[in-house]
Amino acid sequence: MSTDDTPIPVVAIRGVARHYVRAADDVQALRPISLDILPGRFVAFMGPSGSGKSTLLNIISGIDRPDEGALLVAGEMLNDLDEDELAEWRARHVGLVFQFFNLIPVLSARDNVALPLLLTKLDRAERTRRAETALRVVGLDHRLDHYPGTLSGGEQQRVAIARAIVTDPDLIVADEPTGDLDARNAEDILSLLRQLKNDFGKTIVMVTHDPRALRFVDDVYHLDKGILLEGEDAERAGAAIRMAAGGHVGGGGHP
Amino acid sequence: MKYLGLVRANLGRNKLRTLLTGGAITLAVALVCLLLTMPQGMNALLDDIASNTRISVHNKAGIVYTMPASFTRRVRQVDGVAAAMGQVWFGGAYEDDGVVTFPNFAVEAEHVGAVYPDYPIAPEHLADFQRYRDGALVGGQLMERYGWKVGQRVTLRSTVWPVDLDFRIVGTMNDDQAPFFWFNREYLDQALKAQGGNGLDIVGMIWVRAADPSQVNAIMREVDEISRNSEAETAAETEKSFFSNFFGSLQGLVTIILVVTSLVVLCIVVIAANTASMAVRERAGEIAILKAIGFGRRSIFGMLLAEVVVLATLAGAVGVGLAVGATGLLQMFAGWSPALGPLGNFIITGPVIVQGLFLSLFVGMIAGIVPSYGAARKPVVEALREVF
Ligand SMILES: Nc1ncnc2c1ncn2[C@@H]1O[C@H](COP(=O)(O)OP(=O)(O)OP(=O)(O)O)[C@@H](O)[C@H]1O
Ligand SMILES: [Mg+2]
Repeated sequence: MSTDDTPIPVVAIRGVARHYVRAADDVQALRPISLDILPGRFVAFMGPSGSGKSTLLNIISGIDRPDEGALLVAGEMLNDLDEDELAEWRARHVGLVFQFFNLIPVLSARDNVALPLLLTKLDRAERTRRAETALRVVGLDHRLDHYPGTLSGGEQQRVAIARAIVTDPDLIVADEPTGDLDARNAEDILSLLRQLKNDFGKTIVMVTHDPRALRFVDDVYHLDKGILLEGEDAERAGAAIRMAAGGHVGGGGHP
Repeated sequence: MKYLGLVRANLGRNKLRTLLTGGAITLAVALVCLLLTMPQGMNALLDDIASNTRISVHNKAGIVYTMPASFTRRVRQVDGVAAAMGQVWFGGAYEDDGVVTFPNFAVEAEHVGAVYPDYPIAPEHLADFQRYRDGALVGGQLMERYGWKVGQRVTLRSTVWPVDLDFRIVGTMNDDQAPFFWFNREYLDQALKAQGGNGLDIVGMIWVRAADPSQVNAIMREVDEISRNSEAETAAETEKSFFSNFFGSLQGLVTIILVVTSLVVLCIVVIAANTASMAVRERAGEIAILKAIGFGRRSIFGMLLAEVVVLATLAGAVGVGLAVGATGLLQMFAGWSPALGPLGNFIITGPVIVQGLFLSLFVGMIAGIVPSYGAARKPVVEALREVF
């Protein structure tokens, strides 16, 4: 499918599915899904609770493994890697942001951001320097020595984003990064992610419930009951979300 | 080592808990170190009171059984024996209530000097002891306890023999380890004969001095050999082992204390393990995130285990320090008063310090392994799923 002028996708998923066996139940969290995410795109997955968003995100970021299907992310066939190899791969290629528990409360913002660099061969001075640079990018260079407890929710999420970019990963993956924030902070975080895409060409994959996100992202995928919606279904889902947001968010009106 | 900052930060997370757990380990390790000095301290104590060349010979059936008096002469003829002295338990009570309050023995006055050259007995006292049939040599402690003076007369009423004897104290052994009362065997012999008996034809214990420590074993074998076919088989022991029999019950106590200590150590392991698993549980979210951002099983395991091990080892080192300080104090007290002298034998030696530190390390390892392994082994998806 890739011709000369089509860039190689950062994420290429073919027939990936995942089910969980819980007691007698067999939960089909993800029905076979295929999709490509091109470099430099800011992609959102949306859908009701339990629709399989986190499951898909975890598979893309090498945290979980599919039961079936093939998965090529940042140039690596993730199907072939074992748990330890996946950990190593994540450390190098993926920046992760979660909804909560992101930061170690006993480490300063700087040390939190420097954490992933502990897994590299960089010396202490270089780790500190890079952590400070990342914190500057997210606009927190005046909070280097603050501990998470003394930072606002929005600031904490910025520190988490700084930690996600400090290794300069191919892919940033965020599972409901604004889920715990008020409206203003949520917008700030979304626009920060957008800025990472614009300024540094980062590929960002995000799960969100937040209709505001529509203004910031390039592509939206809708999941329902483990199925990736397409065509009319997808449009209907998109329209429903825009309605919920009050109608004044446009589809592609991002900066 | 890169993780040391993280380990330190995590230990500082719940300072009170870290302090309490560390304190428990400190106390336990200090206790164990002090106990480890006991067997050595006891041996040193025994070395102090026993010379290497003295052998005790007693009836194989036990020290309350006797041997024929003639056996002493035969022992004297054994090769390598420098001197031998028979002694008989008199069981004399000094006070009116008829209770024996100190050991008193009939001994062979003419052999005392040769068997106990190491005892601090003044030559003129020894000479008087041999000269006067009713003379008695009395340990310094005893003299002090009863306020006796050399030249004074005292009466002991035997609880074993049908006689009361009146003694003149002719000298003292200024040795704390010899709280004895010795008198001349002939005196008892004649008193018994005067009562119409056969005199003293038995001996309870024979003290033998070997000319040379290297001959001690050969002498013990030979003496037991001589007695084999006689009416009283003997058991020869070095003085040290004879005393350690006396101390036997004390050593049984030490065994019990060691068992109790092991249980204390076990408790400490459980306490530390509990602390570790609490720490792991309450940090489940952070650990899940660390795993997600790429920390492998080994890093997580190492980090969590290091936390417990560092705590246990630091706390243990403080415990060893406490023990060293405590024995230092004991030695200081030992210097103050001769009665406390033996306390100075309980010294924390290099090996005990090493053992104490290893014990702490071991406590940390054992306590940390299970919770750390559990947290490290859990697949990252499950870890995340459990907290989100
Ligand atoms: N480890 C698991 N064991 C059993 N069932 C699971 C497991 N993980 C996910 N599921 C199930 O798979 C389905 C999809 O879960 P998933 O977490 O991907 O949903 P989601 O879209 O992220 O929902 P939410 O918006 O609530 O986060 C759910 O029904 C969930 O209960
Ligand atoms: Mg989810």
